[in-house]
Amino acid sequence: MKLSDRRDIETDVYQPAEDSRLLADAVCDRLEADTDDLVLEVGTGSGYVAGRIADETPARVIASDLNPHAVRQARGDGVETVRADLVSPFADDAFAAVAFNPPYLPTDPENEWDDWMERALSGGEDGRAVIDPFLEAVPRVLAPDGAVYLLVSSLTGVDEVVERAGEAGFSAGAVADHSFPFETLTVLELFR
Amino acid sequence: MKESLLDILRCPLDKGELELEDPEYDDDGEEVIGGTLVCTDCGESYPIDDGIPNLLPPDMREETPA
Repeated sequence: MKLSDRRDIETDVYQPAEDSRLLADAVCDRLEADTDDLVLEVGTGSGYVAGRIADETPARVIASDLNPHAVRQARGDGVETVRADLVSPFADDAFAAVAFNPPYLPTDPENEWDDWMERALSGGEDGRAVIDPFLEAVPRVLAPDGAVYLLVSSLTGVDEVVERAGEAGFSAGAVADHSFPFETLTVLELFR
Repeated sequence: MKESLLDILRCPLDKGELELEDPEYDDDGEEVIGGTLVCTDCGESYPIDDGIPNLLPPDMREETPA
């Protein structure tokens, strides 16, 4: 990879952090997948979580992102990628599991900086501007006994997300969490 | 993209099935690196760029933050 490409990636693509690792650990730990199962990671960014699931479980993993720099980096690391808005270009009942580390930071609209990194981080004023549409859309592409693994932060409001998931027909359980000085990260497992 | 991915890809607008047109394959023929995916229902077409299908709805395709 050329140095200029690497620099673009550092400014345009969210790189793996504690939240990515927590989500990857939780999915690899919880997922009971067969070789013919498909797993989708939405908003894959660098492709780190999708790559971990592909390496550590028998499932075939597909990763999607809105960001052209992200899908290029993820594909460069051997992840099967699709440029997509959430789950819109996928078939009904296609996935045994869907994982998502969403943009979740509540952001003052005055402070939105309108680049790819902002899209990767900002969840709008309440932190749920992307999570809510995801919860409405994801049941369509999930196999009947499939599970969703969603990373949420105390900054976003775990109870609010669980309530929205309930409205979308899901039961939710926390399967992993990690506390930091300013927030607690939780991985929710959603099932029907 | 692997051609088998077509089994689960759909038109983001109407969930119609997609047909691969003018495919270009990589040297060992395992991956589709170029071509167009066309919806068999509405006829909307989606490009495959450097092996990555771009299935953003047409109104989002041009959106490029700085």
